[in-house]
Amino acid sequence: MLRFALTRILMALPTLFIVAVSVFVLIRLIPGDPAQLMLGDLADPASLADLRARLGLDRSLPMQFAIWFGNLLQGDLGQSINSQQAVLPLIAQRFFISAQVVLVAVLFACLVAVPAGVIAAWRQNSSLDLTLVGLATLLLSIPTFWLGLLLLLFFGLKLEWLPVVGYVSIGEDTTRGILYLVMPILTLFLHEIGVILRMARASTLEVLRLDYITHARAKGLSEGAVLWRHAFKNAFGPTWTLIGLVLGNLLGGIAVVETVFTIPGLGRLLVDSIFARDYPVIQGCLLFVAFTYVLVNLVIDLCYPIFDPRVTAE
Amino acid sequence: MNLKSSLAIALTLVAAPVLAQQSTINVALNADIRSTNPGVNRDDNTDAVVLHMVEGLVGYRENGAVAPLLAESIAVSPDGLTYTFTLRKGVKFHNGAVMTSADVLWNWNRYMDAKTDWRCRAEFDGRTGMKVTSVDAPDPSTFVMKLEKPSAMFLDTMARTDCAMVAIIHKDSVKADGSWDRPIGTGPFTLGEWRRGEFVSLKRFDGYVSPPGEQRDGYVGRKRALVPEVKFLSIADGATIKAGLMSGALHVADIPDSDVPEMKKIPNLEVMSAPSATKHAFLFQTRDALLGDVRMRQAIAAALDLDQIVAHTSNELGKTNNSAIYVSSPYYSDVQRQRYSQDLAKVKKLLAEAGYKGQPIKLVANKRSTVPSFPAAVVAQAMLQAAGINSEIEVLEWATQLDRYAKGNFQMMSFSYSARIDPAQSYNQFSGPKDAFPSKAWDSRRADELIEKATLVGDPAERQKLFDELHKLMLAEAPLIFLYNQVDTAGVSRKLRGFAPWVAGKPRLWEVSFAN
Repeated sequence: MLRFALTRILMALPTLFIVAVSVFVLIRLIPGDPAQLMLGDLADPASLADLRARLGLDRSLPMQFAIWFGNLLQGDLGQSINSQQAVLPLIAQRFFISAQVVLVAVLFACLVAVPAGVIAAWRQNSSLDLTLVGLATLLLSIPTFWLGLLLLLFFGLKLEWLPVVGYVSIGEDTTRGILYLVMPILTLFLHEIGVILRMARASTLEVLRLDYITHARAKGLSEGAVLWRHAFKNAFGPTWTLIGLVLGNLLGGIAVVETVFTIPGLGRLLVDSIFARDYPVIQGCLLFVAFTYVLVNLVIDLCYPIFDPRVTAE
Repeated sequence: MNLKSSLAIALTLVAAPVLAQQSTINVALNADIRSTNPGVNRDDNTDAVVLHMVEGLVGYRENGAVAPLLAESIAVSPDGLTYTFTLRKGVKFHNGAVMTSADVLWNWNRYMDAKTDWRCRAEFDGRTGMKVTSVDAPDPSTFVMKLEKPSAMFLDTMARTDCAMVAIIHKDSVKADGSWDRPIGTGPFTLGEWRRGEFVSLKRFDGYVSPPGEQRDGYVGRKRALVPEVKFLSIADGATIKAGLMSGALHVADIPDSDVPEMKKIPNLEVMSAPSATKHAFLFQTRDALLGDVRMRQAIAAALDLDQIVAHTSNELGKTNNSAIYVSSPYYSDVQRQRYSQDLAKVKKLLAEAGYKGQPIKLVANKRSTVPSFPAAVVAQAMLQAAGINSEIEVLEWATQLDRYAKGNFQMMSFSYSARIDPAQSYNQFSGPKDAFPSKAWDSRRADELIEKATLVGDPAERQKLFDELHKLMLAEAPLIFLYNQVDTAGVSRKLRGFAPWVAGKPRLWEVSFAN
């Protein structure tokens, strides 16, 4: 298992290198200059040249890349042009905030959507199935920003149960922290239910059609035993993979949800940095997102044998 | 009691402290501040927050005139070269130290040090014309500055908000190695906490010594902090800001003009607006093969129904102003009211004279919600098409548009200039030689001469003549068309007393309190 994990991590290194080069080049291909943005509409060429020199933007692109990549190899992602903060702690701080929203939302979504998907498949074409599939499609179709605004309107403005703007970390004040997280988590939870439920239903349906399920039923096993002991274990693989992809995606940024609920997470940091052309932060964020994606999927792969003994790390 | 009621009561009880913080005024900012270092790594939001904590020797009054702030009086020598500032007595920094001229001297030297990266160093070291040749602190309450040549803009530049009013801060604001720590200023609020991406909290400075005056007057006048805390929250989404205002979680927030009718219907909110000195305009590239012909530019000006454009884009709050001078300026004379008018017969004649054959004109715009760039472009395009001028809109993201603006890489652009109070500074924003400054819209030797003269002449009547001549020249050459001055509109909780928007376009939270 350890060898498998190490091999996978080593295999990820070229991916991360390609991401690093691509991000560095692509972000500089977009017109716009961080120094110009800092000085605004009144930047005179002399002041602009001064600032560009101070930020190191007057050097050639290969030189800029060499400096950045050299620092990266030493674990230094550089310093934000905007806030002058070190990029790595900034990302870590913002990632923690995003991660608590994403992990809780996905966990609850799995707890609800996976059994619901299996039950929908078990009762295929029944009114229960149609209701669950309809609900999943509806939740999947609603854009998260709109869903978030609806929740804000209902729980924040109409019922006045939950705070509308601001953020308090759980570490600072647990009760208030949770209150501020309820709506963003609920938004993601509702959206991801749709995604996971449909996959759980589809993969269970596929398994339920196989001969060994008929054989299990013929042996006189109860429907519960057929469903959970035989069908579910085999059907969960694709859903588990999807959960990995969903987690990787969401951990990489939930900018829309963070913007609506004023959560200072990683997604908002990335979007703000793109608008400000804060190159070191953009590069750091995207590299971190790629790394997270690789890591989450590695963990997902390593967990396969738990659900399906036929799959081994070797 | 059913489950729903129990849940509601439980949540409301838990949420109560969050929702009801009556000692703190919550103000929305559309983005986080960049730093707390006055005039260094800044933008409009940064200036707005920082100027609650720091003050300069002079500041703007409500009408944009410059008046003493940390200075008690200012004496100018007859030759206009020496400015003697007598400091107000008993002014304290947030750490309790008394401000003296030695502090002013230390600050000036720090600002003029290239390592500080002060935004306005070029304004005072001769690079843009004005040069401070020496400074001196002959006694604890006197500070003397000498200029190379007289300048009518010296005090105005000292008061500029983007220069942080040349804020006087205590030496302990910087660390031993010279790097920035935190602002220890003389303002009515001190820095409480800054959580990046979340909020900046300012606390009342109990030792504050307010400038004289019976009422608030721009950045001078009475400046008491009447609440223990002001919190500036960074909220990027307009819909969330709206929800925050409606719920009462936010007490003050800028709102786009398009939301004004809806916000006026909300009983717990008051909608306040005031014209600022920010200018919205259509710029022409006068070096363009087509728009280099003044008849083409005049034809475009005559094709536009400016009142309709302004009414549409400002939701009928703005007033057409083709002048570079804002409407409440003392220099806004009858001549400055002269403007373009729609005249389709004139358009036809000018287009024929210019030999226009339907070549497309690209109008660059952006979709930032804080400026009317895109809606103004859409209405203008329809009017131009109706007048027989083929125009296309090119929508760009702001950073890209700014890059194109800086390089002069456009035919026509829907653009907004940040607020400049002094008319000469306002003209300086867009006038100058294009070879050296590609972003300048107006490259006219005569205009530059007049502006240069206006920076030297102090007599208001003499300056008025210069600005009036400049306005007439600008209308004739049409290097750009000013549309109107931004109307700053804020949604303000009815629980607050004393808040008012003003010409500088930045919120002021001193002399503001909760009703009862």
